[in-house]
Amino acid sequence: MQFHGTDKYYLNPELKEIVNIAMAMDKPLLVTGEAGTGKTQLAFQISRALDLTLEEARCKSTFKGEELCYVYDTVLRLNDSRFGTKESGRDVNNIWDYLNFGPIGRAFMADERRVLLLDEIDKTDSDTQDNLLDVLEDGSFIIREINHKVKAKYMPVTVITSNAKRELSDPFLRRCYCHHIPFPDMEEMSRIVRLHYPEITAPLMDSALAIFYHLREQGFEKPPATAELLDWLGALQLDGVKPPLSPDTVPFLGTLLKRTQDLLYHKREKA
Amino acid sequence: MFLPFFYQLRDQGIPISLRYVLEFYQALEKGLALDLDRLFILMRLIFVKKVEHFDAFEQAFASYFLGVEGEAIPRFTLQAWEEKDFSRWLEEELAKGTLSGHDLENLSLPELLKSFWEVATAQKGKHRGGHTWVGTGGTSPFGHSGAEREGIRVEGDSLHGAALKVIDARRYVDYAASATLRAENLRQVLAALKHMAPAGPPTELDVDETIDQSCRNGGEIELVFKQELKDRIQLMVLLDNGGASMRPYLDLVKLVFGLMRDQFKDLDYYYFHNCIYGCVYSDPQRLTLYPIYQMLRRDPETRLIIIGDANMAPAELMLSDGAIDYFSKVRVPGRDWLWQIRNYFGHSVWLNPIPRHQWPQESQTIFQIGEIFPMEDLTLAGIRRSVEWLNSGAPPKKTSSRQLAVGSA
Repeated sequence: MQFHGTDKYYLNPELKEIVNIAMAMDKPLLVTGEAGTGKTQLAFQISRALDLTLEEARCKSTFKGEELCYVYDTVLRLNDSRFGTKESGRDVNNIWDYLNFGPIGRAFMADERRVLLLDEIDKTDSDTQDNLLDVLEDGSFIIREINHKVKAKYMPVTVITSNAKRELSDPFLRRCYCHHIPFPDMEEMSRIVRLHYPEITAPLMDSALAIFYHLREQGFEKPPATAELLDWLGALQLDGVKPPLSPDTVPFLGTLLKRTQDLLYHKREKA
Repeated sequence: MFLPFFYQLRDQGIPISLRYVLEFYQALEKGLALDLDRLFILMRLIFVKKVEHFDAFEQAFASYFLGVEGEAIPRFTLQAWEEKDFSRWLEEELAKGTLSGHDLENLSLPELLKSFWEVATAQKGKHRGGHTWVGTGGTSPFGHSGAEREGIRVEGDSLHGAALKVIDARRYVDYAASATLRAENLRQVLAALKHMAPAGPPTELDVDETIDQSCRNGGEIELVFKQELKDRIQLMVLLDNGGASMRPYLDLVKLVFGLMRDQFKDLDYYYFHNCIYGCVYSDPQRLTLYPIYQMLRRDPETRLIIIGDANMAPAELMLSDGAIDYFSKVRVPGRDWLWQIRNYFGHSVWLNPIPRHQWPQESQTIFQIGEIFPMEDLTLAGIRRSVEWLNSGAPPKKTSSRQLAVGSA
């Protein structure tokens, strides 16, 4: 199984190699990097390119880790024990009818290899992270209520993303392959743009990218990233803006700069 | 074949363990390093876990495989020797007797490291599953003395002597409940602090209680929720960093709470000297003011720990010109400020580095402040009790005679 990118996603050759190594070694791949560098997209594209089902977990700070494996619906069972009827199709005496499997659980129990995305893992506690990594490393977890061990039939291709809001612990890092996606340079960026807007004209692209990278260098609190650039280009094309663009009067500036302070600062600079 | 390269990585300050080396060989067996580019990526994935090490790795790789010397790559450094795995290995070798103290004196650092890796990689087969003896903890008695002679001198003449020394040092005495806070018993302190009460909304279904209540309810389901057990609380630490009696504890205190950092939703330190007046400071140099009226707008559920010796001239505490309020110019004695804080933050405690039994001799202000805040000393037992104080949120024993209009300042 080799990953070669897809038509909608520009894949840096290095990253491609990394994904393939991580898959061969059955290791979770931790991708870090600025917002808009395509961290989350990577998992989607792996799943698309290799035609594997994606199991997606968007992490929240309240996660304890276990709910990604399974959730035992006690309330439903209690309710069924009181009001349950045959129509529900659930048997109150059978706990399996009340176990809901989370993304990890589904990925482990599937009869084929799946892609598992743990998005923004840094939002969770370090305890949660360690628990999750134990599960992912062993490829198994235990359903505590019935002391049943669920073992992965196929190790999922695991992609973990982090915005590095909080430092990840050393043991966590040790168990992953870590890759930091640098922000794409102008050439890579133009390829990315072309994937999304194949008809874009070269002059528009060039002058837009020049402004975009110029804005990025201004040290804004929230520098515009790929997603903002794509939004902006979309707006420019819809509106039929003709190049060359002047850096002094950037149309749809709000799509690029999101923070009021940044906007004000930019306006003051130009004034 | 890559062994010298592994040394070089360690040398560059990249912490690599045997586990990585084994993983690397497994990857080689799978044929994942077909060319130099792939080898580079593979090695980086396996050995480099942090962005800050990427550059060092690239340099080492360039120098080893491409013969490119970028910026002068430093030779073996002492720091690399303090890596835990290695020193642990040394300890074990010394214990087994394969290395003697004499060898340590005479072998050069590179020679020692080399034999370490030889042993490490020779055991590849045996340790495939375990990886236990390399990569676990262990403290380093090495590396801090004999750099100038290229060897590592171990303190103490022989191992026999060292063992006696250890016994004589009564290592475990630090773990007793009466022990004061120090590096050795940090772990217990952490464990004690972890017992902070559950915070947050009651969202977790209490199954036992639910069933119990439902039965009492004649079978009608009665859902009972409990608070999630989670140490997600805000903590504010006020540190007296002025007095001499505090100095030995400052770093430790910060270390303790630093280690706990992600247990807390918020953790802030502020500093003061002797007693608190109109403000505390957000930097240890006490230059940046953090006014009390701002502090009193925080979430009153915030846990407050004040750490100070509470030892001051009575005037500082009791007299209104003990200090001048920076904001309203109203002269207010420190005691009233403390009351103000105490009344606002129900979950608060004062930790005193002076052992409890010395309090009567030290100063009367200790007792005066002890009337305002629950006061404990910095022993394990004291810290445990203070966690109880923090959890229960003991009401103030009495209210202040004067209420301050700080909010309007």
